Amino acid sequence: MRRSPEIVRGLLVAVVGLAVTAVVAAALLALGGHSPGATFAALIAGAFGSWDRFVSFTLVRATPLLFTGLAVALAFRAHVWNIGAEGQLYAGALAGVAVALLLPTSAPLLLLPITLVAAAAAGALWAAGPAAMRTRFGVGEVITTLLLNFVALFLAQFLVQGPLQEPRRIFNQTDSIPEAAHLPALLPGTRLHVGFALAVAVALALWLYLARTPGGLRLRTVGASPRAARVSGRFRATPVVWAAFLTSGAIAGLAGWVQIAGVTHRMYEGLSPGWGYTAIAVALLARLNPLAVVVTAIVFGALSAGGGAMQRDAGVPEAWVRGIEALVILAVLATDRCWQLLAARGEGG
Amino acid sequence: MLTRKALRSTIAAAALLATAACGSDNTDRSSSNSADAPSVALLTSGPVSDAGWHAGAYEGLQLIRDSLRFRVSHQQTRTPAEFDEAFISYAQAGYGLIFGHGFEYQDAATRVGPQFPNVTFVVSSGSRPGPNVVPLVFHLNEASYLAGMAAGAVTQSGIVGMVGGVEIPAAKGTFIAFEAGVKAVRSDAKLLETHTGDWYDVSAAKEATAAQLRQGADILIHNLDAASFGFFQAVREARKAGGDAWALGMNLDQNDVAPDVIVASAMIDLPAVFLSTAEAWEKGTLRGVARYAGLRAGVVDFVPNPAQEGVIPLDALERIDSAREAIIAGTLEVPRIEFVEEEAAADG
Repeated sequence: MRRSPEIVRGLLVAVVGLAVTAVVAAALLALGGHSPGATFAALIAGAFGSWDRFVSFTLVRATPLLFTGLAVALAFRAHVWNIGAEGQLYAGALAGVAVALLLPTSAPLLLLPITLVAAAAAGALWAAGPAAMRTRFGVGEVITTLLLNFVALFLAQFLVQGPLQEPRRIFNQTDSIPEAAHLPALLPGTRLHVGFALAVAVALALWLYLARTPGGLRLRTVGASPRAARVSGRFRATPVVWAAFLTSGAIAGLAGWVQIAGVTHRMYEGLSPGWGYTAIAVALLARLNPLAVVVTAIVFGALSAGGGAMQRDAGVPEAWVRGIEALVILAVLATDRCWQLLAARGEGG
Repeated sequence: MLTRKALRSTIAAAALLATAACGSDNTDRSSSNSADAPSVALLTSGPVSDAGWHAGAYEGLQLIRDSLRFRVSHQQTRTPAEFDEAFISYAQAGYGLIFGHGFEYQDAATRVGPQFPNVTFVVSSGSRPGPNVVPLVFHLNEASYLAGMAAGAVTQSGIVGMVGGVEIPAAKGTFIAFEAGVKAVRSDAKLLETHTGDWYDVSAAKEATAAQLRQGADILIHNLDAASFGFFQAVREARKAGGDAWALGMNLDQNDVAPDVIVASAMIDLPAVFLSTAEAWEKGTLRGVARYAGLRAGVVDFVPNPAQEGVIPLDALERIDSAREAIIAGTLEVPRIEFVEEEAAADG
């Protein structure tokens, strides 16, 4: 009974938030000498202007946000504050690229699954350290996961300038991955790759797991009240926390490799513009519901695809585009908060 | 109850967005000339306010707009995943010439190029020409060599500094040439080299520069974007503290950026390169081979800062002038990193 209204609510919050932002941003744009009408038209046309725009731009941009958003949502449901999706993404990307480049096979049916497993394993491994520190020594994972992001970033820099650098050793990037490791197109003739379908499948699986399985119930219990879960004595919380860390890391790891296998076909230093951090907003906005994350990730994907069009077609500088994106996030979060307060009052009276 | 209220808000919001979208039809684009003019687009992966690499490209785009009356547009991209999207968007929107300002655009240009045979993709510092993909290679190393000669003549301590951002070939090439220039004048000179790993981190650049100054460097060159402000600031503070340190500008004529500390700049006239490339494209002579821009083409040069006249000794300036002539004549070969894969190339 609660689930589908929750998704509807998530959608509505997003839409109302966008409307509020539109008004504020329009005023700011007008003050800055940019035409609000042209800017918004570009934003909408860039994200939704045609089926191809929506599929090839918006959904492609939504894919890494969807993976990382799911990773964050799952962890947060278990009260595991994984701020390290960015680092786990890089770990997954590096592992996938390394396996794709070094494994002497060209059979797609073999290479693709192996690289995906490698990426997920690397992401999980990157999350395992913080998991161990939290469960063994009680070290807060906010700090450890956050700091490991920088370690992953520097590791990526080192690898693309060193052991994994392209064969001519000139550019700071890896060699292109073999064609067998490319993710095929999901819809022929578009840029949308199978990775998007994979992400949606992960969302469905997570939702089923959380809603319908004993393991999901335990995870939600630990998340709702770690203390209550402990004193109830019915199960041990530690394995649940471990599972949340590792699965979250694995999903974030997939984000990085899927981006390379589906879009760039090469590892670069600046692969991610901070998807692992945006993911926190994506997940919170979806109220940590995996199915709603699909919707919020697409909204954020649309926003970023539209942001590019704002620059191209309306001549709005990048700094403005970023500002407007930040406004959208703030407005949506504020709307969500007001909504919660209203709902609480409604239930109370 | 809640849902109905929510529904109403949704409709209101949708209506608002729709109004915003419709309102645009009557507004005209500020950056356009006429609708059917040839269209040129520029992609940069950094801000055009960096007073260097990106700013020069953006000035070039404006020069194309003002002198050729072309329609122009610019987008700053954030991640390699956006490159294809930006190229495709511009090509679909009817832009005939699209500049990707940096080697990082090469792959995307190679991927997108075949889909739009009538569009020309130019990749600054690119490495792989294609039928409609043109690498634009700047021989900034030639000017950097001359700057090295100046540094070798100016330094008292014999220690010369180089502060870089990310170690990409185009940047490495300038330092290799700079070092050769220093050694040509002062063979016992010691060179310090630091890369901060970031084009835009002003404080990291300032720290790295200050560290080299502490090690005794008294003339330094950089290869940074917006972070160069930190580089100049560190040299300025060293001078204020009584030190005798000087800076050299890079990429653009930066003599005006910090006239109090810069003795000269190794520069590319990026706007001129962009303009001549657009002209060649309009004439149909921009073919699928690399296009080189160096001292000979008059778009790369070493320019002393008039505000600091006399810091570089006159005899050194004379030696620099004769080295410039020798490079143009082809009798003096400046070290460089070759990164274009095919040999075929046109001098531009």
